[in-house]
Amino acid sequence: MMSKDEPPKAWSRLLEAGKKVTTHTQAEENKFYPLRRTFKPVAPDIAKASLKRDFEQGLVYYVGDEAENDRALCGLERLPPTGRSYKGAVEKKREILEDAGVFEKMSFDKKKGTFQY
Amino acid sequence: MTTIEGKNKPDSRTRYGYFLGCVMPVKMPWAEKATMLVSKHLGLDFGYMKETLCCVRPGPWKAMKTDWWLSITSQNLANAEKQGIVMVDTCNGCYVSHWEALNELHEDPQKVDMVNAHLKKVGMDPLRGTAQLKHYVEVLYEDVGIKKIKANVIYPLKGIRIMRHVGCHIRRRGDDTLLNYFEEILKATGVELVDTPYDKTCCGLLLYFADANSSIFERIGKKMEIAKDLNVDGYALICSGCYDQFERAIKIYRDEKGIAFPTPVIHFSELLALAFGYKPEDFGMRTCRPIPVDAFIEKIMRLREGK
Repeated sequence: MMSKDEPPKAWSRLLEAGKKVTTHTQAEENKFYPLRRTFKPVAPDIAKASLKRDFEQGLVYYVGDEAENDRALCGLERLPPTGRSYKGAVEKKREILEDAGVFEKMSFDKKKGTFQY
Repeated sequence: MTTIEGKNKPDSRTRYGYFLGCVMPVKMPWAEKATMLVSKHLGLDFGYMKETLCCVRPGPWKAMKTDWWLSITSQNLANAEKQGIVMVDTCNGCYVSHWEALNELHEDPQKVDMVNAHLKKVGMDPLRGTAQLKHYVEVLYEDVGIKKIKANVIYPLKGIRIMRHVGCHIRRRGDDTLLNYFEEILKATGVELVDTPYDKTCCGLLLYFADANSSIFERIGKKMEIAKDLNVDGYALICSGCYDQFERAIKIYRDEKGIAFPTPVIHFSELLALAFGYKPEDFGMRTCRPIPVDAFIEKIMRLREGK
């Protein structure tokens, strides 16, 4: 059963981050176009921030300065041998996503890095 | 070992390629380093798999469209083939993604054609069916063996009370083989495994998007409460996905509820490294821990000094 309590603030922030990368809000637009049919976007708002990172960097978490320093402190190379170090691999993934129709169905604009809906 | 062709046995020249996934290199560098140390200590030809990308979790992606998930996952499989390595996952989530993909491709050759068409378009070699996959516990249990692991333990972690966090996907294959390997290897380090009713409870990670409260407070929160009540020294886990959820829950409890749980989250490889005689600083054990490990390390050091 779904909990009826307020969700954690961390979850709400993630939801807001998803809404921020969405160009059109159906609830707002329906006020002006009441006859337009509402549809359920393939990508839910709560998942959009993670999806955007995956679509742009090939990974859900980004290795930034802090993570690089932590890696060095642990005796590792500052950059892992993932898509973080291999931009070509990320570009190939983006091409596969496009070719498979994922960007289109999710209404993801890869140039702007936003979801249409 | 799982391949598109079915099951194969590794030979003595096996080269292992560590698939890091998303969480390990960012949030768990101490576990990554400990895994590398332990693997080389045991004489494995263990390096990194290169050019890795998100495994893409089968759960949410298959719910959208199986072919999407298979197409993206296959890029990692094709890279493993090209690099001529056995792909090794420590994260149960990554493992299950690769394992399910290999099974789907094995069962449906038309899917192989579909993913190969995508790979060809981006200039990659098509899948030949030679990608090989192992969970890290399989590598240690089957290829190294408990006898050799025990022979390398110079500081048995006797008296260290550990609550195991198994992780759901380690059982996804439909049997408890990997779970038993996890348990046997933990026992080989000498730790005391404390049984709790929540050992096999889901961390709640995949529930978080849909129902955050249940995910945090009814799943992982229950574990954190009992770990505190039982005064265990740490949780032992292997899955990076589960760790991600532990870290999230620790922050939500601390920042939003004012509750600071005391039990640190320890990776399985750290316990092995410590039992093999490595010092905590050899793998940066104190670095970026959401719950400090100082008390845990102190207890380990007292044990080593025989106090």
